[in-house]
Amino acid sequence: MNRLLPLELIDKCIGSKIWVITSDSREFVGTLAFFDDYVNMVLEDAVEFDYGQQIKSPKVLVNGHKICMLIPGGEGPEPIQG
Amino acid sequence: MADVEVGVATEVPEPLELVRLCVDEVVIVKLRGDRELKGRLHAYDSHLNLVLGDVEETIYIVDDEDEDVESVRTIKKQSEMLFVRGDSVVLVSPTR
Amino acid sequence: MDSETQNPRSGMGDFIESIRDTTVMVKLYSGAVYYGELQNIDGYMNVSLNECREIRNGKVVRNWGEAFIRGNNVSYIGAGS
Repeated sequence: MNRLLPLELIDKCIGSKIWVITSDSREFVGTLAFFDDYVNMVLEDAVEFDYGQQIKSPKVLVNGHKICMLIPGGEGPEPIQG
Repeated sequence: MADVEVGVATEVPEPLELVRLCVDEVVIVKLRGDRELKGRLHAYDSHLNLVLGDVEETIYIVDDEDEDVESVRTIKKQSEMLFVRGDSVVLVSPTR
Repeated sequence: MDSETQNPRSGMGDFIESIRDTTVMVKLYSGAVYYGELQNIDGYMNVSLNECREIRNGKVVRNWGEAFIRGNNVSYIGAGS
């Protein structure tokens, strides 16, 4: 009976770093502040990785609609070589 | 910060309130697929289905055969009355 | 039930409250970027902005003034910069 529900796993990530991958090939890394039932998320000190470009924001509210994968503690994509 | 008393009209207007205030005004509507409409907003609903009157439609066509020189052509069309399905709406803005 | 102590849903409302009337960046799935003062957001992520500017390649390409952006197009909203 100790099995975690998926949203409970995300709940455990609040306050720590998370790597978010969306189905439209954007990635975000930041500290998870809040999320809701639609998995809309608020990330703090966030970095967006958009086709190799990096965009930093102190706070970001990411639309949950196209969120596809969450990696707790993830450090983000590896830098593109060359 | 003078008044601490709240509870009267402190409610912040919902985003759709902005559209409500545009009724009977001339608005610019940005649509998916590089299209724009400018016309008088007669009616709307929560899906952003719109009825516009006296509309000018602008279609932007980007010719990017050369990577550097990106030229944009536009096609304009006039309509007396138009129904717009909400799912193609990106942005609605009143003209000042 | 320690997950109850930190209700993340109510936090979302607090967050929106905290960024209202500040300058935010709204990025759409299409890649279009808008800056403006946030009037409000609703549950569909519909957004209303004051002094909305459309940015392309780091340049302001258009001043929209007040603008309503339909939520289904919104990828994310950045605040605090």
